[in-house]
Amino acid sequence: METLQSLADGFAVALTFENLLLALLGCFLGTIIGALPGLGPSNGVAILIPLAFSLGLQPTPALILLTSVYYGAMYGGRISSILLNIPGDEPALMTTLDGYPMARAGKAGEALAISGIASFVGAFFATWGLVLLAPQLVKVALLFGPAEYFALFALAFATLGGVASRNQAKAAMAAALGLGIATIGVDGQTGVPRFTFGEVHLYDGIDFLVAIVGLFALSEVFIFLEHRASGDASTQKMEIGRITPPLSMLRETAPAMARSTIIGFIAGVLPGAGASLGSFVSYSFEKRLSDKKGTFGKGDPRGVAAPEAGNNAAAGGALVPMLALGVPGSGTTAVLLAMLLALNITPGPLLFQQQPDVVWGLIAALFIGNFMLLAMNLPLVSLFVRVLLVPTRYLMPAVAMISFVGIYGISGSTFDLMVMIVFGVLGWVLRKLDVPLVPVILGVLLGDQMEKNLRRTMTIHDGDWTKLFDSWLAIGLWTFAVVGFILPLIAGRYFRPKLADSNKVEGADPD
Amino acid sequence: MSDRILGIAAVALAALYIWRGTLIEPSFMSDPLGPKAFPFIIGAVLAIAGIAVAVRPDEEPVWPGAARLLEIAMAVAVMVAYAWVLRDIGFVASTSVAAAYLSWRLGSHPVAAIIAGIVIAVGIFVVFKLILGLSLATGPWGF
Amino acid sequence: MRKVLGFAAALLLASNIAAFAFEPGNTECIAPANPGGGWDFTCRQVGKALQDLSIIPGTMQVTNLAGGGGGVAYAEVVNKRNEDLNLIVAASSATATRLAQGAYPGNDMTQVRWIGAVGADYGVIAVAKDSPVQTLPELLDMIKKDPTSVSVAGGSAVGGWDHLKVLLAAKKAGVEDVRSIKYVAFDGGGEAVTQLLAGSVQAFTGDASEAKGFVDSGDIRVISVLAPERLEGDFSSFPTAKEQGIDVIGANWRGFYAPGNMPDDAYNYWVESIGKVYDSKEWKDIMAANGLAPLNLRGTEFQAFVKDSVDSITELSKQIGILK
Repeated sequence: METLQSLADGFAVALTFENLLLALLGCFLGTIIGALPGLGPSNGVAILIPLAFSLGLQPTPALILLTSVYYGAMYGGRISSILLNIPGDEPALMTTLDGYPMARAGKAGEALAISGIASFVGAFFATWGLVLLAPQLVKVALLFGPAEYFALFALAFATLGGVASRNQAKAAMAAALGLGIATIGVDGQTGVPRFTFGEVHLYDGIDFLVAIVGLFALSEVFIFLEHRASGDASTQKMEIGRITPPLSMLRETAPAMARSTIIGFIAGVLPGAGASLGSFVSYSFEKRLSDKKGTFGKGDPRGVAAPEAGNNAAAGGALVPMLALGVPGSGTTAVLLAMLLALNITPGPLLFQQQPDVVWGLIAALFIGNFMLLAMNLPLVSLFVRVLLVPTRYLMPAVAMISFVGIYGISGSTFDLMVMIVFGVLGWVLRKLDVPLVPVILGVLLGDQMEKNLRRTMTIHDGDWTKLFDSWLAIGLWTFAVVGFILPLIAGRYFRPKLADSNKVEGADPD
Repeated sequence: MSDRILGIAAVALAALYIWRGTLIEPSFMSDPLGPKAFPFIIGAVLAIAGIAVAVRPDEEPVWPGAARLLEIAMAVAVMVAYAWVLRDIGFVASTSVAAAYLSWRLGSHPVAAIIAGIVIAVGIFVVFKLILGLSLATGPWGF
Repeated sequence: MRKVLGFAAALLLASNIAAFAFEPGNTECIAPANPGGGWDFTCRQVGKALQDLSIIPGTMQVTNLAGGGGGVAYAEVVNKRNEDLNLIVAASSATATRLAQGAYPGNDMTQVRWIGAVGADYGVIAVAKDSPVQTLPELLDMIKKDPTSVSVAGGSAVGGWDHLKVLLAAKKAGVEDVRSIKYVAFDGGGEAVTQLLAGSVQAFTGDASEAKGFVDSGDIRVISVLAPERLEGDFSSFPTAKEQGIDVIGANWRGFYAPGNMPDDAYNYWVESIGKVYDSKEWKDIMAANGLAPLNLRGTEFQAFVKDSVDSITELSKQIGILK
């Protein structure tokens, strides 16, 4: 009851005309930033910090603006995933798998609407989770030592096979490629450069944004160039379809949203796991559980709802360790943390007691932003889908140039642009060979953390490998990982002939 | 055939990767595992996956003809040139040219392509520079 | 507020007439990292203060030039922007550490002009609240007896600043082979403290600002502060290492450098300007909010200070074998 009283106080702080206006502005800018390839929630928030300063905002309004941008970007990322097959930011990666096939099948409007609703569900319940469970959840985060984190990442990669590709060997190859790319740069544990060839630009490693934009956006441009002469049949305008989802689709996806919200939220609470892992685990879990007819990956609405609910729930979950421990659970919360410090607010165990007005004002702002985004996103679906009406001969050059700017504007590095072009060509080749791109990105994203946690475990326990399985939590995670890896291999042996037949009919063109 | 080449290329890449991995010079102070172990594990996975792909290849993809390959190569060349001169001639000018080229090659009439290039460049400039305040390449004319 | 501004404007007017021939144009601050990090923050905060105090005309453009732990920006300034009069670049102890350890290939600290510091974050060594360890010498004795019994967590890489602080202390305490100390690198102090709370490690090395929230809540106990004197405020009850007979100071400073060929009039202008920011009340508030302690070094003094820290880090890195 006390909690609800505090929340009401929070709303009293947040519900002013000025704050609502700021929330609207933040949601709008955030959605745009999220949808632009290369700009995601973390640099979106960082870019807009000066705006908060130059408007001379007090702490609470400044936080309202920036958290609206944060949630807005989490919503926005799905737009380019669905319409263009280019993830607007890294957590929206999984949404391409079913979102783009839906758009190609003339259901772009439905995909956008259902994913908007899923985003809302994920973010809404995650915010409630933050309200009701934050103090208890911190204890969950403390259960995770390096060994448990390593097991968690192993679980993510073990269940990868079959999620993103029909060919497990190719998925494994793609993951290894991504993990290998992640090892480029100065080794965080010992400071030794690895695979840098003495090139100073490689010392920080390869930014996953460069990889993601190159692999997805530029390779898309190459695909269009390749197909142009062979008749405009493959590149002609797509059907938009209806812009509201039918009720039956909502009913069908509701359980997926519910499950994914829980999974995503827990992944968000764990520092270092973050929204990408949240959406990934949500998707693969949902596929395992409910993909009875093999429709995932071919435009199943549940495959859109699951990762979007998952990544937005993770965004809410990531605020738990940031507020309660001062530990950012993701890149974005790291930026928000810096912002809090600048506003003379020290997050940490005592924040809820010492500055309740800020915390509850922030939480109220999250609710407001979330409702605003839902209200903004559903009517705007009809506007977003108009992107598909732009002829590709104008749309694709714009996508390519936005990709370049998205990378250059953040890092100011010509070298990064060159690397991005290399990734573009690589992405085109891999797509031709039907090697999935999602595991590559996951490898680049998670490889560093995975290795670090393995080595931390070894350092703490003087190289004793058995310590990787030293807690019930770790053993549980490993069990899931092993089962998740072996099951599709066995199942594949029985079902492969059938699947191969059905693939010939519907899945001939993997692009 | 393509998949067999892919598999062999992956094995070769894994070998190259592991070989470069052995050249990493660990510093005096190192954790028990060191900077080499993880790359070795990844290299092994890559090699195994490569063998599996080479042994059981999928269906052959449809490769484009020489003309289409040249088209893609030209686009890559334009992009590289774009990245190269971006800082020297500024954002708007270089972006207009690159976007116009891509638009032309994707089937626009040349005049339409030039207009599209300029509109795209100016549009991006407005959103990224004027609204979001990012620093784009300035160039001699300040834009 | 208005008074401060008026005063600053008067100062500016006076200084423009009297001291400087140099007129700033479109000023720029390079943050050698992506938005959101410490360097980015230094640029944006100081840039904002320079503007608010009307020291520079208009706004200061913050450019992010990430790569190589600051090495890309360093090389860019040395190679391409060596004559730029309107440019300053954010730097910190990490810059000095990397320069000392040769992590910017082909560059050294003499290739740029060091402007001044805007504050320092002193190092702390802490344990969990239920740890039996009460003092720094106790912890170091445990390490001496059995190095495998203690894992120390910190937010920088091996050989980075958080690690070096522990090694410096251990060396002073007479640990023979400092390389045997188990140091576990995490991504930032926050994660390291969390693992201390989770019980994965036995001790934490980091900056005072990183530990502040957990000190207030009583979850961790600071067993020594690596400052010349006790810190003010919340940290005043914690003893310095020096009090405990281990004479080590570890300050993570933040400051700026300028291109190497900047002529004296422009250089002096920047030294004065950063100094004015440092002296302002606004900056005092920002320092307090961010857990920065005073470190007032400008111009040649700062240049000498950076040289000293580079030299001593080089020395230490050689002794422990990071450098050959």
